[in-house]
Amino acid sequence: MTTLGRTRLADVGTYVAFGVICLFFAGPLLWLVSLSIRTSAEIYVSSINLWPNNPTLENYVAALNNPLFPTYLWNGLKLAVGGAFGAIFFAAPAAYALSRFRFRNKQLAMIGLLAVQMISPLVIMVPLYRYMDRIGLTDSHVGAMMLYIAIAAPLFTWMLKGFLDGIPRSLEEAAMIDGCTRFGAFMRVVLPLSLPGLTSAFVLNAILGWSQFIIPFILISKPNLLPIAVGIFNFQGTYSQTSTQTLAAASVISIVPAVVVFLVLQRFIIGALMSGAVKG
Amino acid sequence: MAHVQVNQLFKKYGELQVVHGVDFEIGDGEFTVLVGPSGCGKSTILRMIAGLESVTSGDIVINERVVNDIPPRDRDIAMVFQDYALYPHMSVRQNLGFGLKMRNASKVEIDEAVRRTADTLQIGALLHRKPGQLSGGQRQRVAIGRAIAREPQLFLFDEPLSNLDAKLRVEMRTQIKRLHMSFQVTSIYVTHDQTEAMTLADRIVVLRDGRIEQVGTPDDLYSRPANRFVAGFIGSPTMNFIDARLVAEGDTLWVEPTGGPRLSVPAERVGRYRPHAGRQITLGMRPEDFTNTWTDESRAASSAVPLDVTVDIAEPLGSDTLIFGRIGEAEIVCRVTAVAAPPRGAVMRLNAHMNHMHLFESDSGVAL
Ligand SMILES: Nc1ncnc2c1ncn2[C@@H]1O[C@H](COP(=O)(O)OP(=O)(O)OP(=O)(O)O)[C@@H](O)[C@H]1O
Ligand SMILES: [Mg+2]
Repeated sequence: MTTLGRTRLADVGTYVAFGVICLFFAGPLLWLVSLSIRTSAEIYVSSINLWPNNPTLENYVAALNNPLFPTYLWNGLKLAVGGAFGAIFFAAPAAYALSRFRFRNKQLAMIGLLAVQMISPLVIMVPLYRYMDRIGLTDSHVGAMMLYIAIAAPLFTWMLKGFLDGIPRSLEEAAMIDGCTRFGAFMRVVLPLSLPGLTSAFVLNAILGWSQFIIPFILISKPNLLPIAVGIFNFQGTYSQTSTQTLAAASVISIVPAVVVFLVLQRFIIGALMSGAVKG
Repeated sequence: MAHVQVNQLFKKYGELQVVHGVDFEIGDGEFTVLVGPSGCGKSTILRMIAGLESVTSGDIVINERVVNDIPPRDRDIAMVFQDYALYPHMSVRQNLGFGLKMRNASKVEIDEAVRRTADTLQIGALLHRKPGQLSGGQRQRVAIGRAIAREPQLFLFDEPLSNLDAKLRVEMRTQIKRLHMSFQVTSIYVTHDQTEAMTLADRIVVLRDGRIEQVGTPDDLYSRPANRFVAGFIGSPTMNFIDARLVAEGDTLWVEPTGGPRLSVPAERVGRYRPHAGRQITLGMRPEDFTNTWTDESRAASSAVPLDVTVDIAEPLGSDTLIFGRIGEAEIVCRVTAVAAPPRGAVMRLNAHMNHMHLFESDSGVAL
């Protein structure tokens, strides 16, 4: 076999593998879209057909006509954006300190941060609820946001530290000799240079917040406070007849913003994920 | 312009002591070079003078003012970094003007200073570019420009040329020297390259392991090194060190390299070395103090003695030839006027200029 033929074969293999993996992950999503354009009669019938016999957009209309739907969207946005801002607000100074200052037990602090990251909220669900309830932060966006921040901050501290490590220290030193205070050097040199990193961390954080389910599910019960991820879950219960198709439509609508943001800003996001790996 | 004093300067990083009580003084307008092998604490000292590193103990005095606790921005200094440290998000123009802007200079003043600096360094055509769009040499110029645009009292350089290729390095070295000659601003320059030190400095501070080995003019260090370390550090190829014995015979004094022929000590040195007669010492001879061209008069005038060297390898450099050879048990390098490379094992009769000899104590390395 020629080298060319062998390369081709390898290429084909790669594409086949790619296709299989793609199908595996995209399958459920396609199924969701398929469900969302069915009539209620067709939900259980032609379950093997991906494309229904009588496709309809009725379900989308129904979902959007739900009086609480815009509230869910708005709540989701509020929590995602607020959580992202908060996480950056707390992670950025920590990342700066970890990147720039020498202090005792720094390594330990960094590992400690990661260790906290490993605890799933699921594990501490009950004590977490009791705790938040005790201090009166259930059924409150502030309370939920605080947890979003607590969950995201460690990871983003690491991420931003990686980004800041890539900005040479000598730039700040030059600025300080040129007449800046340390804070001035941070504002005029470090901040502008870390803006891409901050932006991507923010976007990534907001997307994660948007799809956050467990925290609001545990903490929030008032329907008008629910974010979209939990709100659509409640569609299940509010309809008497089968509501799978409406639920599916609502789900599709809820993913759209995250997908759009991701596609538009993917360069940034990949930058953020890679920043620790490749030093610039 | 500034007068700088460094008094009993110490620096510790945690338990690690890296600067051990350094003292030196720099006069107004002087160009001082801190030189020494990697890790000897040159950068640390420079950064303490800049205010980027805290002082463990001792004083740094600039213009009769102790600056230990004064932040870098109030020391009226400028620094050129090894990696240039140009602000990547600003144009060359903004980089040059940044220091003045931070000092609230007017727009007119800034423009004027930028224009003047750009003219001096011939970077006028680059003003609108970002540092990322410049070559290494151009970045180097901009970095120097950023330092001079502000007209500070004191320039600090931390190995500014080490990222350039050999040719550009020589060019920029001359450029820095020219700038210093025209502006006469007090400068402290850190390098591990003895050629840079010799060519640029009014005065050189030689450091080793956080201590000063010698302070002096380039000529002091070359002609009168205080010890074997300085003697070996300054000059290229490095000085030959030959184990020898100092022998007295009546009024004459001889140096007797182990296993080699004895060499007479010139009359004017006899008094100085006599007390050490009979001891094992180290003879130091620079490669250029062996020559292959002489007349009887020149030989007499320079107290040169004939010396047979067994050739190992000859390296022609064009104008000179390096002869790697042996006298007795010692291996030496001689820099002689270009000759057809002699074959291995040949014996070359050279001239040893004993008036340039150095003697060091064998164990401590201190010059006698
Ligand atoms: N931040 C630091 N923490 C601990 N030790 C340090 C630190 N900075 C420097 N050192 C140590 O101090 C010593 C002197 O370092 P310095 O950078 O001054 O050397 P240098 O003479 O400039 O060397 P080079 O020619 O390699 O730049 C070295 O042994 C170095 O390991
Ligand atoms: Mg250094």
